Amino acid sequence: MLLLQSEIASILLNGLQQGAIYALLGIGLTIILGTMEFLNLAHGALYLVGAYTGLIVFQETTLSNGFLYSQGITTIGFGGGFIAALILVPLVGFVVGLLMERYVAEPFYDRPETDQLLVTFGLALIVQEIVRNVIGGNTFQSIAPSTMFGVNVSQPISLPLVGLFPSWRLFIIAIAFVVIGLTYLAIERTDFGLVVQAGTRDSEMVRLLGIKINRSYSLVFALGAALAAFAGLIGASIQTISPQIGTERALLPAFLTIVVGGAGSVRGAIAGGLVLGVIISAMTQTYSQWAQIVLYLFVALMLIVKPEGLFGSMEVGE
Amino acid sequence: MARDTTTLSRRDVLKTSGAAGAAGLTGLAGCAGIGGGGGDSEYPALGNYPVEGDEVVFGLNVPQSGSYSQEGEDELRGYDLAVDHLNNGGGWVDNWDGLSGEGVLDKTVTTVEGDTATDPDTARQSASRMISRDNAIMVTGGSSSGVAIAVQGLCQEENVIFQCCITHSNDTTGSECVRYSFREMFNAYMTGQALAPVLAEEYGEDLNFYQLYADYSWGQTQQASMEQFFTDVGGWNQIESVPTPLGTSDYSSYLSDVPRDETDVLVLNHYGLDAANSLPQAIEAGLDEDMEIVVPLYNRLMAEAASGSIGGIFGTADWNWQLEDDATQSFVEVYREEYDRAPSYGARIAYTQTLQYAAAVERAETFYPPEVIREMEGVEYDGAGLGAETMRACDHQAQRDVLVMQGATPEEQTEDKLLNIVSQTSRDDMGYACDAGPAAECELGEYGDE
Repeated sequence: MLLLQSEIASILLNGLQQGAIYALLGIGLTIILGTMEFLNLAHGALYLVGAYTGLIVFQETTLSNGFLYSQGITTIGFGGGFIAALILVPLVGFVVGLLMERYVAEPFYDRPETDQLLVTFGLALIVQEIVRNVIGGNTFQSIAPSTMFGVNVSQPISLPLVGLFPSWRLFIIAIAFVVIGLTYLAIERTDFGLVVQAGTRDSEMVRLLGIKINRSYSLVFALGAALAAFAGLIGASIQTISPQIGTERALLPAFLTIVVGGAGSVRGAIAGGLVLGVIISAMTQTYSQWAQIVLYLFVALMLIVKPEGLFGSMEVGE
Repeated sequence: MARDTTTLSRRDVLKTSGAAGAAGLTGLAGCAGIGGGGGDSEYPALGNYPVEGDEVVFGLNVPQSGSYSQEGEDELRGYDLAVDHLNNGGGWVDNWDGLSGEGVLDKTVTTVEGDTATDPDTARQSASRMISRDNAIMVTGGSSSGVAIAVQGLCQEENVIFQCCITHSNDTTGSECVRYSFREMFNAYMTGQALAPVLAEEYGEDLNFYQLYADYSWGQTQQASMEQFFTDVGGWNQIESVPTPLGTSDYSSYLSDVPRDETDVLVLNHYGLDAANSLPQAIEAGLDEDMEIVVPLYNRLMAEAASGSIGGIFGTADWNWQLEDDATQSFVEVYREEYDRAPSYGARIAYTQTLQYAAAVERAETFYPPEVIREMEGVEYDGAGLGAETMRACDHQAQRDVLVMQGATPEEQTEDKLLNIVSQTSRDDMGYACDAGPAAECELGEYGDE
């Protein structure tokens, strides 16, 4: 019995950690899709941008050959490099999002979805190749710090039921959920959020009410991009970093998440991400060979039984 | 995708002027192409034989994208160096009998490159283009046994010799072996033979081990060989063996499932990027505190990407630049001069397989594939950095020494040195007869002139 409980606890914890990344990706994708009805296949590229920005910030601030070192500062301690990345990465994502909205998305708002798919997928490939050419095709080690706010996060800690669990992963589950919570509050409880929510239901009406929705569009897009970049940073702290991670690790999970959760719904993205995370974790831990099959069966079932997703008001690509 | 070279544009000219015109052009140029090296005109056309003109094309089919692309870069460096030495002398060309440093059979070697994308179908298409469009007389490359097996099958059908590069699955020279393919690299079976005694001595007997393995040709044979030798040699007991999909990036759920109390040794049968993720994640989860971790096949990509985690971890490698024999040292020297870094084992295999083919052509005095194959079968050589080797006739698997390696601690590591050599297991203490191990399942197929 205890064995079963500990198995469930470990499945839930691994699922939460995986699900948090999916949820971050899903929220970004879903608010862009819901508000602007814009299908953004470059969402994975934003994850890539986040991972590489994190890598550069981390290297330049913590390693013994970075920029700070060249200025005579050998360490800023307390996981300072990663804290700097936690602040800078979403900012970079935000700026990239603003630029993307202005120069890539906006000209395509009124074009058919196929055009949007082509231009954003093309953009994703371009970003990937630029990274490969500028930084190189090398694979970089994940960038988890050894201490964070003075706490050692490199050692696993012993949890009741679960047993030993990497403490860094506990930490990122916590920050991911803080960010997810703040985003949820921003969209549910602020005027900006109200406009976004209204925009996902009927953007024409919002415009008729005299709200400058174009500015909101830019902000929504940038917010979505910042979340994707943040997800990239979290991903980079537990997995290796290479130019193909945007398409391989981020794009598909993001879409699966909003299929399950429902397009246009932040609550749906959070729920969808967590459900997928737990399914993958449970299958991997019990019948690993069936993990992928069960995952896609589940998503296919969702599409048949509840095509609008758990919390969505419209079907994906409608 | 093949890169344009001067050869290609020459070929384009030949192609546009039509076959008859091509013969005319060659004639006009006054080349002593056919029969120039002696004896070439006495065989019937087969595959891309005869080689016309004063140049001969080698097809380099390596991963330039996909999860093994970094290895592809290293392989290309090895190939480029080999071709340069074949044409201009230098490196091992000067020490290997038969090679002149003035091309192969007096023809200048040129190359075409292709991208396998680490995918068997793409690799087959790319090799097929090299054979039909570029008239490659020999194709070489690969990284991933799935790719090697796909391409060697094609080469058998096309009567074009394939010189394997990185491929470690037992099947390449076992159940999937073909007459037209040769492998210098060792295989998973030999890894088991070399590794098990070292581990049994280091960690003791009667231990429980738990395996994770990449779920494709290489991972499956790797898993089977580890099970066989750890059980036979060390008397160890396998608790469980779990497949993981190729290209998995988060192994945390798999690792959570490893029973910490029962497991003494965790075997991670992952390669390249997969290993670069699974090994650090196993250490992050603290598994190394409760058990020993083993990574049976090391490579540089993985060692670099997981450098913080490899300290003390055992595995095997094809070859290492730190070996002290003359051949190794002379190769390392010319490689460093050219690329300003130490060669990985992928570069050595690429270099060696190219020279092996060229030397066999020189011995056969013809590019006619069946004769070249007969020259390679059973050949003894010792200039490839691993001491005496035999390219065995019955399965085309090199019988050679295998290196057991141990990861260096972060403090010991330098840019070039991430691993330490623990032992060089002699081929006399390993290997298997032609009717045993993977060779028992090998049927090579036809020479093409029967």
